Amino acid sequence: MCGLAHYFESEGLSTILVGFVREHIEVIRPPRSLFLDFPMGRGMGKPNDPEFQKKVIRAAFELLEASSGPIIEDFPEIIPVREGRMGYALPPQLVLSVNDIGDVDVILSEVRNEMEALRPDYATAIAARGRTTVGASGLAIEELAPFIVSFLDGEIPKSPRKGIPPIPLLKLVVEDLEAYYTETRTHRDSIDDLELMGEWFWEKTKAGRLLLLLEAVSIASENKVMLQIVEMSLMAPRFWSEGPLPGTSAAGW
Amino acid sequence: MTKISEMPAVGRHFISNLELTVPTNDSWTEPVPANERRVSIVSTAAVSRRGDKPFSWLAKDSRTFHKTDRDLVMTHVAVEFDRSAWQQDLNTIIPLDRLEEMAADGEIASVADEHYSFMGAADPVTMEKSARAVAAKMKQEGVNTVFLIPI
Repeated sequence: MCGLAHYFESEGLSTILVGFVREHIEVIRPPRSLFLDFPMGRGMGKPNDPEFQKKVIRAAFELLEASSGPIIEDFPEIIPVREGRMGYALPPQLVLSVNDIGDVDVILSEVRNEMEALRPDYATAIAARGRTTVGASGLAIEELAPFIVSFLDGEIPKSPRKGIPPIPLLKLVVEDLEAYYTETRTHRDSIDDLELMGEWFWEKTKAGRLLLLLEAVSIASENKVMLQIVEMSLMAPRFWSEGPLPGTSAAGW
Repeated sequence: MTKISEMPAVGRHFISNLELTVPTNDSWTEPVPANERRVSIVSTAAVSRRGDKPFSWLAKDSRTFHKTDRDLVMTHVAVEFDRSAWQQDLNTIIPLDRLEEMAADGEIASVADEHYSFMGAADPVTMEKSARAVAAKMKQEGVNTVFLIPI
């Protein structure tokens, strides 16, 4: 993002940037930057808090009054993160194996039942917010779990979406599934806690277990892209873990 | 302050080993006064309108959305950042409502019609052509101020 500032600025547009990694801002030197000591994914700090969000914007736009730069300011308020991690991370010891898969029909049935139970609250959340972020994959909600389960035998299924290969689609489906759960819970229980939501979805739900089984299949896969999505932590949240996922080469890191 | 050196091992290694492109010259465009500012947002959250082509994992291109669009989806390749905040409130990452309120209060002149999104996982150097094309579109609609927000 810091690099983009230079392109826009050199085109005659004044830029203001907010950023989470101060060391990178210091090296790349965009003209005007506001460092935010917030978890990643929360540029304006707090959802549904217009005053806090405006405080961030005003602090950023204040930098437009500087007569020269580059200038870096620190936003004075901090949103604490846990042990230096900027987002939720799975416990390193929570790793499943392909031997844990068992009957895939049972797995699918359990996830379907769990999703069905959440359905009324998901509908309420959409109605209240006027929007949903579920749908990046383009698959219907009922299609999400079956598509993921179809990878558990180690074979790569065909993509039901024209122009999107199966593994990139799988990633979007995984994110849709998680969004379906977390959109529902954050609204139903008025929770705004990324650690709590990560812990619930990944460690306590049947859907989370399904994805850990998918991760196990990926580790055992001979398909390079399937292996890449675990080595690069592109599916299960292990980026902020204290060590690489056992069974991977950690080449991506 | 959350420093790279204090981050957990996996993320720390990744972030500290990123190859950063250091500019040879500092860039600077003199800002216009607050009451003349027409503001466009550039996000690297890889968001797009529902139905738009998803971003590829290291996409160099951008997507455009209108200031009234709220039905956005995210196709960012990385999962290390929190998605639950934007699920609750789009303004947490793309504060269109806040900017409209500030325009109504006279803190800025106006909010641009069009806003832009890139894939933050890609190297910004590969995005230069797209970024300059976006800049041209911004200037066509009278934008003079760009608010850059990562994910």
